[in-house]
Amino acid sequence: MAEMLKQSDLGKHEIACRTAHATAKVAGVLSLIFLVLLVGNTVSTRVIAPARENRLAAMIAQLRSDPTNESLQSDIRQLDLSIRQTRLWRLTFARMGSHVLLLTIVIFLIASKTAASLAKGLPKPGPRRDAGRRQIHEAAVSRWAVVAAVIVATGAGWGLLEIYGPLAFVGAQSRGPAYASMAEKSMQWPRFRGPGGAGVTRFDNIPTQWNGPSGQGILWKTPVPLAGNNSPVVWDKRVFVSGATADQREVYCFDADSGQRLWTGDVPTSPAAGKKIEMSEDTGYAASSTATDGQRIYAIFATGDVAAFDFSGRRLWHKSLGVSENSYGYAASLETYQDRVIIQYDQGDPESSKSRVYALDGATGRTIWEAKRDVYSSWTSPIVVEVGGQAQLITVSNPWVIAYDPSGGAEIWRAKCVAGDTAPSPIYAGGLILAIEPYSQLVAVKPDGKGDVTASHVAWKMTESGPDICSPVGNDQFVYLLEGSGTLVCCNVADGKKLYSQDLKDSFMASPSLVGNKLYALSETGVMHIAEVVPEFKEIAKCELGEKTHASPAFAPGRIYIRGAGNLYCIGARP
Amino acid sequence: MKGRCAYILMGLLATLTWCGSTAYALERFPPPQFETDYVRPTPTLPSPHPPGHEHVAAVLLVVALAAAAYLVYRRRSRKALFGLMIVSLVVFGFIRNGCICPVGSIQNVTMTAFDNGYALPIGVLIFFAAPLVFTLFFGRIFCGAVCPLGAIQDAVLLRPVRVPRWLESGLRLMAYIYLGAAVLFAATGSLFIICRYDPFVGFFRLAGDWNILVLGACLLVIGLFVGRPYCRFLCPYGVILRQLSRLAQWRVTITPDDCIQCRLCEDSCPFGAIRAPTERWPQKQYRIAKARLAFLLVLLPILVAAGAWGGYRLRDTLARTHPQVRAAEHVHLEQSGQIQGTDDVVDAFRATGRDPQELYREAARIRDTFGLGSALFGAFLGLVVGGKLLSLAVQRRRDGYEAERASCFACGRCYSYCPKERQRLKKNGEAAVR
Repeated sequence: MAEMLKQSDLGKHEIACRTAHATAKVAGVLSLIFLVLLVGNTVSTRVIAPARENRLAAMIAQLRSDPTNESLQSDIRQLDLSIRQTRLWRLTFARMGSHVLLLTIVIFLIASKTAASLAKGLPKPGPRRDAGRRQIHEAAVSRWAVVAAVIVATGAGWGLLEIYGPLAFVGAQSRGPAYASMAEKSMQWPRFRGPGGAGVTRFDNIPTQWNGPSGQGILWKTPVPLAGNNSPVVWDKRVFVSGATADQREVYCFDADSGQRLWTGDVPTSPAAGKKIEMSEDTGYAASSTATDGQRIYAIFATGDVAAFDFSGRRLWHKSLGVSENSYGYAASLETYQDRVIIQYDQGDPESSKSRVYALDGATGRTIWEAKRDVYSSWTSPIVVEVGGQAQLITVSNPWVIAYDPSGGAEIWRAKCVAGDTAPSPIYAGGLILAIEPYSQLVAVKPDGKGDVTASHVAWKMTESGPDICSPVGNDQFVYLLEGSGTLVCCNVADGKKLYSQDLKDSFMASPSLVGNKLYALSETGVMHIAEVVPEFKEIAKCELGEKTHASPAFAPGRIYIRGAGNLYCIGARP
Repeated sequence: MKGRCAYILMGLLATLTWCGSTAYALERFPPPQFETDYVRPTPTLPSPHPPGHEHVAAVLLVVALAAAAYLVYRRRSRKALFGLMIVSLVVFGFIRNGCICPVGSIQNVTMTAFDNGYALPIGVLIFFAAPLVFTLFFGRIFCGAVCPLGAIQDAVLLRPVRVPRWLESGLRLMAYIYLGAAVLFAATGSLFIICRYDPFVGFFRLAGDWNILVLGACLLVIGLFVGRPYCRFLCPYGVILRQLSRLAQWRVTITPDDCIQCRLCEDSCPFGAIRAPTERWPQKQYRIAKARLAFLLVLLPILVAAGAWGGYRLRDTLARTHPQVRAAEHVHLEQSGQIQGTDDVVDAFRATGRDPQELYREAARIRDTFGLGSALFGAFLGLVVGGKLLSLAVQRRRDGYEAERASCFACGRCYSYCPKERQRLKKNGEAAVR
């Protein structure tokens, strides 16, 4: 009886074992089938489908050249539908297939483990070996294995070091930024009217006596090949100006000590340059002053051609913004902010929506940001000023004074307070943005607002003067306006109250400048009128250059750089 | 039959990966380029987990750990432990999609320590701490019966082969490197490397990155023959549990009584955790071992210093894992004309309108942090290597066969091999009948 029971148990064990084996086989075969199907599905998805999609793309391209072809449109719709249906089907199949496969694998595992468990016999330990010797040997080999692992890890680390090398930007970062800081700029004359476009120099050892015809006080005089009304820009020992004709554009770099022309940079002619450019004779093709960030010099011309050069004269990039729709010709000067060059490119009217402010990457010329402007064409230059620790890019153009964040181009505030053909550039003096409406008024706006501040932040308006070309200049006490006809007006910066007006009996296009407590105003005839900065007019000197001038002067320690009609002058004492 | 099955399974597991990737590869397609009547539905975001979801999971974890402790020490039942392991695989793996897991929680805890702006959720804290606390009392019961990563490997183990101890000693260093790197990257806010390269989470979700699925499939294929390769040679959490389990209040014993050295359990552990009884070394070996120990003690600080130096040298390479550093490098390469064109990283940075120098400065600061972190990472590895060499130079006395505390996963496989255990079960069975 016991024997029979034992045999019966053995029979059950055998049946269970066979069942487990059979289940594992079936699950394995099913898994293989799904494997093949899923592989096929994937191959179809990756090989056949793209071919059909390419065919569809070709048909769509064909339709673009033949948009009225209804038969083609119908074919595209059918093929598109077919592709979508197929892809949906394949997606569903892949999802379901993977679930089924997972299920069959689970069944396979259970069955296989059961079969292995049922087939497991009793453990059969091998012959007993010398445990002590074996342990010593194992420990020794293990130590070497650890050493080998360390060698492999070290090799891998060394390999990574070789492949990737050091971080390149670290060197660049340690060399300092790739542009001058605001503090560094304040020690130079990096743009039209100097740091921040204020027309103020921080050096007070500026000459007050010279005479061009006799050569008294003239350090050097050198001809500038092509004409231009743009003002000199000075950085350390380099002086930059540009010149242009209808079909030639050049940037010049002069040695500040000798006046020797160090290099001439050609700016290519864009196709747009061939277009007839609308401009007045006074403006010319190179009215816009250059600007530098301490690393590169940037120039823009009436043709809309912008270019950057390094200080050795190598042209880094050139791009065309297109010819500006501007009745007098493009004349706005450039500004820089960090490593980018800022261009105020106003044209047409607000409805045409063509006006822009661009921030271009100084190194590549790529547009970092641009802002659309609902303004009329203008001739003012943008300025970047720091207000409460935040940089603001100030622009003036009929009818808005608009402040932008120069980092990203977001508008900060705007005030509707100017009209007409705006040409004088704004300044920041006495904590106020001062903008001129030609022939009409001087407007002061508090720059700490947000949004439209027309009603809330216009501090005052002075309606007794409004120069048409010359930009104002000011300090914490006074602001000076210089009309083209020669009338100099001095106002109180705090409230705009007029303190005096004085007829200088000369005509002016260059903007006045402040040197300490002296006001410098350069007339069209080349006479520099120097007056004391006090509440009443006190002339200090008049210095003759002997050449007509339109450009504003540039200042450096002990020197003035003046661009005449054909020459560049350096006024200062010989070292 | 076993061999054939194993080979078939190899193919099947590879298929699982393929299958997952196939599902993943079939990406969505763009909307049609012409007008249709079809109204596209408004995209909706998946709802967040209900409040308390993580707390429920944490409670489940604690319950599973308690059950594991009971089954290991009271029931001593491999079958029950296997059942609990499968339940954990389903709950913590397939249902909870393998997240949060204690392995990855190392990074959350590290980040909390180094980033004041990062708050550690209570659920994550429990997931990190509960297995550690249980390990201090019961050994690595979390690995044996609760961890879904361990469970999926255990489930596919069909034909275990013995990994030579020397190889195991060398390979285990990978887990320490992984742990060090995970802590470094989390501390610097660079990357959650454990989550990014979790080899099994793709299987739990039936979708994932192709490369990671291949990695997981490879580990599972290896796992057919080598028990729990990820747990033994890679798991960073396992490194912590190994050390804590050495201090555990109780430890898993193969026999419920004194070992009679029958050697039946000798090869029962697929994870190589069973150690044979030791014999006294010859006197000459003792002298050599003492000299070696002295040498290694002197070598230890040198290894730590060398590791710190090597780590510091690697700071730039390691710093590249940080997105800020990568962006700075891309922007600089583009600015300096070393690469042509642009890429998404540079475009994204440009879109912020920020000054590149600002980015460089920030990246340089992160790199400096990596300088210190990498040196510490290297020093840690030097310490690990030194410690490992020292441990291999010391003989430990064992009078019977026992499961090594650090390596034992408390899976319960060895119980049934012990005749004393069988005797106990028989007695218990008879007592139950009576």
